[in-house]
Parts: sequence; structure tokens; C-alpha cells
Amino acid sequence: MMVVLMVGALSLLSMFRLGLFDPSRLFLASKNIMQFFAEIFPPQLDLLPTLSRAIGETIQMSFTGTALGFLMSLPLAFWGARNLFGRLVGAVVRLVVSGIRTIPSILFGVIFVIAFGLGPTAGTLGVAFYTVGYLAKLYYEAFEAVDPEVIEAVKTTGCNRLQLFRFVILPETANTIISQLLFMFEYNIRASTIMGFVGAGGIGYYMVGYVQMLQYQHLLTALLLTFLVVMMIDYFSFQIRSVVHHHSLSR
Amino acid sequence: MMKTIPLQDPPESFPKDYPEAILNAKDIWHSYDGRSYVLRGITMELREGFFTMVLGRSASGKTTLVKVLANILKPVRGKVHLLTRQKASPRPIAYIPQNLGLVRNLTAWDNVMIGALGYTTTLKSLVPRFDRKLSAKAQEILMALGVADKADQKIWHLSGGERQRVAIARALMQNPQIILADEFVSQLDPVTSMEILNIMKKLTQSGIAFLITTHDVALVKKYANRVIIMKNGEIHSEHTSMDFSLEDLMDEIR
Repeated sequence: MMVVLMVGALSLLSMFRLGLFDPSRLFLASKNIMQFFAEIFPPQLDLLPTLSRAIGETIQMSFTGTALGFLMSLPLAFWGARNLFGRLVGAVVRLVVSGIRTIPSILFGVIFVIAFGLGPTAGTLGVAFYTVGYLAKLYYEAFEAVDPEVIEAVKTTGCNRLQLFRFVILPETANTIISQLLFMFEYNIRASTIMGFVGAGGIGYYMVGYVQMLQYQHLLTALLLTFLVVMMIDYFSFQIRSVVHHHSLSR
Repeated sequence: MMKTIPLQDPPESFPKDYPEAILNAKDIWHSYDGRSYVLRGITMELREGFFTMVLGRSASGKTTLVKVLANILKPVRGKVHLLTRQKASPRPIAYIPQNLGLVRNLTAWDNVMIGALGYTTTLKSLVPRFDRKLSAKAQEILMALGVADKADQKIWHLSGGERQRVAIARALMQNPQIILADEFVSQLDPVTSMEILNIMKKLTQSGIAFLITTHDVALVKKYANRVIIMKNGEIHSEHTSMDFSLEDLMDEIR
């Protein structure tokens, strides 16, 4: 009870200090928002050809970035699985992977814009590295969850680690691998949009430009288009994943 | 009372020309936590063509013993010596764990071919492209075990008895001299387990040493020609003749 009261008091205090109780500021803010919503309509449909090309670029960045990240994460997860390579190698891979995960995707975007200049090349690589940070972790955890009894039994046949990976680890984790990959692609559509904010290609580049030029009607058009595309990809990805999931339940 | 049988001094019931030992375990101690011992000074050997059953109640150390013999666990003390001819079989010990250790997402055929991995180069097995000789052998084994028609089925479509046969087929692909099986046929119905044990009995007649752990006393009497009774991580007694009653055996396990 004391704890609840204290947490309540603390949150009230911080809300006050953040200016959420200042009536004059609240009034001004609501007026500004109303004006923003008045200016944002209607969407500019004549921008659709340009923006469609841009969001096509975003989808490409997401797709290629996810694929590249996936290819890099598989060997990392292979080395990172402690039931295959032991604790020491596992710890090194964990260090590398969590290091990659610490860096926000947008910072990867900045780094690759510095290296490759403005455009989708930088964005694609940014998405790829961001993907590695997550997929490698999800995958080595899935690999480590494979039934040790199966691994022990297969090891007595005298197979090496690569054979063990091919004949036990991959088939036992195939469903996880595919469904996480699809989820990552779905998620990376959003990550690729953000990439544009730092000039790394795609529709985000236009969005940030519209905000700076105060062209809110153009911004709304870009947002609505992105919303539509994200919805569509989420839907298809969900369909594919439920097929994969259903398949795994039929054991 | 401890009644282990020393190697140098075979009991009366061993045949005069009893076969050579192919595996020799001496004074095996094992502990998982470094405090309490699961195995306490096990000394035993495996001989060609013997069907050995290790009997004991739960937590008597049977599974640990099998894992030590299969070289999956390294004992805290003591050593397991393989006395097999390396040339005859480079992978002399096959191990079938309690839940068989089959890869559920692969077909029966792929699972059987896993037994041949030790005889295949990495590159060939990754494609996978196994030598024709190995494929022919796998086909032969599956036919002999009566599951050739299930070769293309994934493991989760197979019945318990069929899975057990696939596990045996995988073990045989290794060309083993010893097959170790933990809680073998424990999960099968009586008729199916008798079928499987008949297959194993035939295999031991071809010279394979077969060791299974079980708690099914009736099966022991029908199939084994050697019984080891374990209690609290020790070998309580060993029999190579089956001239005792079921009741005697059950009393001994208790």
C-alpha cells in the first residue's frame, strides 16, 4: 500500500515537473494540435507515383537487408550455440551479437551513410546489421533448445559439428528459423522507413523532408501509404507464419 | 551382499569357449553434483554375442551407466576400455537413448542415414549424397526390420514400434559391435516389444553385444542371456544362467 502511494506521488511530481499540469501550456498545445490536424488534410494524391517509388525502395531495403542479415546471422548462431562449440566460443559470439544489438538501427544508418553516401545502399546495410543483432540471438537460443538426447545419440555416430547442424539442429529448428525470419522482414519495413530519416533511402527520406518544409498534407500522404503497405505485409506474413505454425503443430 | 564376477574368473555358466570381452569398464564412479555418487565402483565387461539386461529400480544408476559406457559422460573415476578391432568397425558403439533420439522433422530414411555420417565425408553428407553402397545397406536393413515402406515418412507419423525399428536401423548403419539402449521397448505394448526383442536376439547371434536397461522383469527372463542387477549405483549381482524364477529376480531388485 505504501509502495503504491509512493509511486503515485512520484509520478504526479514528475508529471508536474514535465509541464503536464500547466493550464496555459496545455491550452496552447491543444490549439496547435487542432491547427496541425486542420492543415494535414486532405492527402495529396498527385504525389502517389513519386511516393510509391520511394516506398518500393523501402520494401527493397527491408527485403535485401533482412536477407543479408539472415545469411550473416546463421554462422554466428552456429558458433554461438554452446551445445555445439562450448562456453568460450559462445561467450565471444554473445559479446559480438549483443554489441551489435546495442547500436540503434538509425545509428547504423548514419554510419553507412558516412561510408557509402546518401541512398538505399546505406539503408540496406543498416537494416542488415540490425537484423544480425536480433536473429543471431534468437537462432542460437533456438539451437541450444534442441533436445540434448537427440544430439548425444547422433554424436555417437561419429559425425562432426557441421553434419550435426545439417541433420539435427536445422531440421529441428526449421519452423522457428522461418517464422522469426518473416517476423523480422515485417518489422524491418518500419526500421527501413526510419532509415530514410538520416538519408539512407526510401520513403522516410521524403517524410522527414515534408516535416522540415511544413508540408503536412504531403506528410499525411506518405504516412497513409506506409500504413497501407505495412498492413498488407503484416497480413501476408501472418498468413505464411500461421501455415508454418500449423505445420509444426501437426507433429 | 555384493556378488560381482571378476573378469579373470568366469562363472560356471559361461560357456567353455566364451567370447572375448570387447568392452571393459573398471571401477567406474560418477557424480553429477560432486557430492553424491550415482555410480559407485562399477566393474563390468561386455562380450560378443551377449544379450545383457541391466535391471534396477528408478534412480539406481542405469541411465548413467549406459551414458558412461557410450562415452557420452566422462566418469569421475575409473575407465572404459574398448577392446574392439578398430578396422572391423570405426564406430563400434551405437547408443539408443530412452526416447530414441530420432530427429522428428526428418524422414525415417534420413534418420537411418544419420547412422552413416561417420562413414561419409562432410561435403557429401551436406548435399546430401551418400555412397550407393551405404544406401543399399540402409535399404537392406529397413527391409529386414520391416519398415522399408515407411522410409519416406517423417518420424512423427510413425508408431512407437516403427520408431523403435528406425532407431535400431540407425544404430546398425554404424556397423557397431556394441549397441547400448536405455529403457529399450519400455514404452511399447507387450506384443510389439516381443517383436523388437526377437529382432535384437537375432542380431546378437551375429556377434553384436547388446545391452539394454529395463525394469521389466518378465522380459529379462525371456530374452537375456545375462542379467546385471543394479542397486544404488552398484552392481548388486550378475547372472548368466536363467534358472531362477521371476519371484527370485523381483526379490533381488527390491
